[in-house]
Amino acid sequence: MKKNGTKESRFNLWWAQWLNRRLPPASRVTLAHKSIFILPTGFGLFWIFLVLILFVFGTNYQNNLVIGLSILLLSLFNTCIIYSYRNLAGLTLNASVSPQAYAGETLVFPVKLSSSQPQFEVLLNYPDNQMKVVKAIGKEPIVSLIPFDNLVRGQISPGRLKIESRYPLGLCRAWSHVNLNNPHIVFAKPLVSHSQLKSIDADNQNITGDRGMHIPGVDEFKGLKQHIPGESLKQVAWKQLAQGRGMLSKEFQQPQGEPHWLIIEDLNSPDLEKQLSELTWAIDKMSGRGQVFGLIIGRKKILPSEGDAHRVHCLQELALLPQYVEGDS
Amino acid sequence: MTYSSQEEIISRHSLLWLLIVNIAVLAPLYDKLTPWSMAICGICLVWRFGIFIGKVAKPPRYLVTALAIASAITLALVTSEIGLLNGLINLLILGYALKYIEMRNRRDVRTVVLVGYFLIAITFIDQQSIFYAVNLTFVTGINTCVLVSLYREDVKLKDTARIGFKLLLQSLPLAALLFLVLPRLPPLWMVPQQKSTQTGLSDEVSFGDITELTRSAALAFRAEFSMSPPSNQQLYWRALVMEDYDGSKWTQNSSIKNIEENTPFTTPRRQQPDGSSIQYSVIAEPSNQHWLFGLDAAFSSDTGIINLPDYRLYSVRTVDQKFQYHVDSYPQYAMDKTLDSTVRRLNLRLPDDVNPRAFELAQSFEERFPDPETRLSAMMRYFTEQPYFYTLTPPRVGPQQIDDFLFENKAGFCVHYASALTFLARASGLPARLVTGYQGGEFNQSAGYLSVYQYMAHAWTEVWVENRGWVRFDPTAMIAPERVLEGFDAYFQAQDSYLLDSPFSPLRLREFPLLNELRLTLASIDYYWSVWVLGFDKNKQEKILQKLLGKVTQQKIAIFMLMSITLIGLIIAYSAGLLHFNRGKDRVSTTYLRMCYLLEKKGVIRDKRLGPTDFCSIVEQAFPGIATDFRRFTHYYVALKYQPLSPHRRKKTVKLFLSQSRKLKLKIIKGKTS
Repeated sequence: MKKNGTKESRFNLWWAQWLNRRLPPASRVTLAHKSIFILPTGFGLFWIFLVLILFVFGTNYQNNLVIGLSILLLSLFNTCIIYSYRNLAGLTLNASVSPQAYAGETLVFPVKLSSSQPQFEVLLNYPDNQMKVVKAIGKEPIVSLIPFDNLVRGQISPGRLKIESRYPLGLCRAWSHVNLNNPHIVFAKPLVSHSQLKSIDADNQNITGDRGMHIPGVDEFKGLKQHIPGESLKQVAWKQLAQGRGMLSKEFQQPQGEPHWLIIEDLNSPDLEKQLSELTWAIDKMSGRGQVFGLIIGRKKILPSEGDAHRVHCLQELALLPQYVEGDS
Repeated sequence: MTYSSQEEIISRHSLLWLLIVNIAVLAPLYDKLTPWSMAICGICLVWRFGIFIGKVAKPPRYLVTALAIASAITLALVTSEIGLLNGLINLLILGYALKYIEMRNRRDVRTVVLVGYFLIAITFIDQQSIFYAVNLTFVTGINTCVLVSLYREDVKLKDTARIGFKLLLQSLPLAALLFLVLPRLPPLWMVPQQKSTQTGLSDEVSFGDITELTRSAALAFRAEFSMSPPSNQQLYWRALVMEDYDGSKWTQNSSIKNIEENTPFTTPRRQQPDGSSIQYSVIAEPSNQHWLFGLDAAFSSDTGIINLPDYRLYSVRTVDQKFQYHVDSYPQYAMDKTLDSTVRRLNLRLPDDVNPRAFELAQSFEERFPDPETRLSAMMRYFTEQPYFYTLTPPRVGPQQIDDFLFENKAGFCVHYASALTFLARASGLPARLVTGYQGGEFNQSAGYLSVYQYMAHAWTEVWVENRGWVRFDPTAMIAPERVLEGFDAYFQAQDSYLLDSPFSPLRLREFPLLNELRLTLASIDYYWSVWVLGFDKNKQEKILQKLLGKVTQQKIAIFMLMSITLIGLIIAYSAGLLHFNRGKDRVSTTYLRMCYLLEKKGVIRDKRLGPTDFCSIVEQAFPGIATDFRRFTHYYVALKYQPLSPHRRKKTVKLFLSQSRKLKLKIIKGKTS
């Protein structure tokens, strides 16, 4: 059994290497004769079997029309090979940016599909994942979201995308394995925990829980809001008024107090994953509240800031931390 | 990995196609269905339709199973009645209908489609006319469309049909080529045959039997001679030889019947005669009988044919579809120069106490003419000397049949005359026998073949004469010479005979010259179809390949096939939109650059740095004769190249640009530049 297993894996390795040489990873791939494989399906084999039966049938009855029918079906199979090829040839796949996702969720990889000639019923899937059926592809690119089940955080590469088609008669299966070179950073799975927030709060109990949050002020421009009669005319956004966007007033704010620091000190702790999950939850929570926070991971420091870009930056840093390995201190 | 279960559901579009294909496949098989199977097929179709319009639910599985078992049992019971092959066909049809009703996913649809193809093939066993071939090719197309519909769900019927039939049509050339080249094998094993009603001649003849055949305008067989065909009076197609007479009917002797029944296991007993021969091939229409047709002493070396000792041809299989064979006939050859004593006795035997007056007449002939040959000619003369009358509706005869005919009615048909002559010859001591077959044939000038119809059925006598063997004597020729010299139609009115029962026979068109020509043309097409498609065999294959390739060798065929397949593949690929010739090129730029090249030859060289407008002003100065035209040309070019245009505008502008270019070119070439 074991020997068999290694043999299989060796073949898989060889196959992957061969595919990498033949179809190198690229974010934009157009399928052509070099990248399309065609083999008959089970139904196609049955079809050939029927052709043989009809030929014998026609021969035994010395009936040329039955022989003719069997030959016609054989020829139809041949025509089908060309059409199967046609249904994938010229198909352009273009990887797009994936939406944010956490570990444990099903990822979706958007792929833009277009073709110079109409193509029908193309099936897309990542190995061991759900199939996505695209009914028709034309010149106008369409985006197909291909699911990929994933449990772990970090840089996830979905591997080779299988593109398959049995159009027009289901006799032949034309397929290709394309690596769209679209790795995606998956955030750690968030874990509800108030300990991080509490510990920060515990440091300075005399300061209210509003620490790190903004209060209305004069330091930073926050945005525009509807003007309320009676407000200072100094705050009216005159430029926007001239543009005909109505009477708006500028809002200002200022950060209140010291920013929060979220910290992981020991990167070799066995419960690193748990800490990461909790931090991920905390970051989302604080970001949602609009608080300013910074992140310290071992010796690395991300300066306090706020906003979605900052959140994503922090989550990515967490996601990409190396896994804890036992005995590795 | 396969489709998810949701994808396996059959779409409504496919269901509609399945409704169509069910009718299309089963309709041509109507004559094979027992009433039972027909009822079940009908129920299944109606149920399917109900499911389609949403009035009925799918049948529960146990119901389908119960129906299947019930129909299988019923079929097993009636199989002995309808024959094994018909039983199997009915079973397959029932399976098709029941699978059709309980179809649940795409896999079931594929099964139904495959069985559908097989049913189409089964239809071909019986139906081989051009009409059916075209019809069933169409059904094959519909069956293919069902498969296409699995992959195209949200489209119209028409779109699916277009793809399905396009695939089929594009497959036809390669199929035709393979049909030509693939080897033709002899039957690999014996297969069950259809149990059908026999048509044509029967193996026993009594007064009035052949009259029935003269009512039939159906084709019996066709013959094509390698030289010009013999005249009508020599066309005596022998089919059966009757040696036993019991006073009312003539039958084959048991010795010959034994040979016939044991045919697959006996070897041909007869040597090929020598002497000058007539070569021809015969395409027999399906008769579900074994006997074939040949002139005089006939010999065929085709497989599946037995050369019987009485110089007839016999098919090992029943002729249940068109059957073509080659014959050599030897008119000068004496059949049985020496007569075996048992055969002699057999051909002299007459039942006791039958036809005493005819017997007396024969005795008197014997006394008056001791020489057999003169006696026979005297007997033949007797029919003209006495007032005998040839009719298709003879009066009834009593138990002394030949006496009544010879001395009372004096009116009869070929069987009457042949029986009488055979009786007289035997009674006067000459071995004689009755032969049935066909006489004459209608010659189709354009295709060069003879058509022999059922109404040309005939009976005559063969008498054994010392040194000459069996000699043909046809008393009908004495009474109605036109019948033999010019054929059946010269003597009888078609309306009174073979057209009486067939109001729609194309033979009715004979009276109208133009329509008759059309009839003959259609008959010729049907003939070529029979010879070159239905009868396409090893010999014809060799002949055609020789014509195409010269001397046929394995390599030549391989190269020929390779080239043809490549060519066909390229054509299909091109029509599928896979090959692009010159499509990537920009037509507008090419036209403009060609114009510049033309002007360059006239002496105005365009500086590559100059834009089209600047170049235009240079050209205007150099060639004032084309100034306005070239300005307009440039204007279109600039518009196409640099202005955003709607697709419709763009198309229009390209058209204008091209026509302007043509106009300009013409002017430049004609030299109207200054």
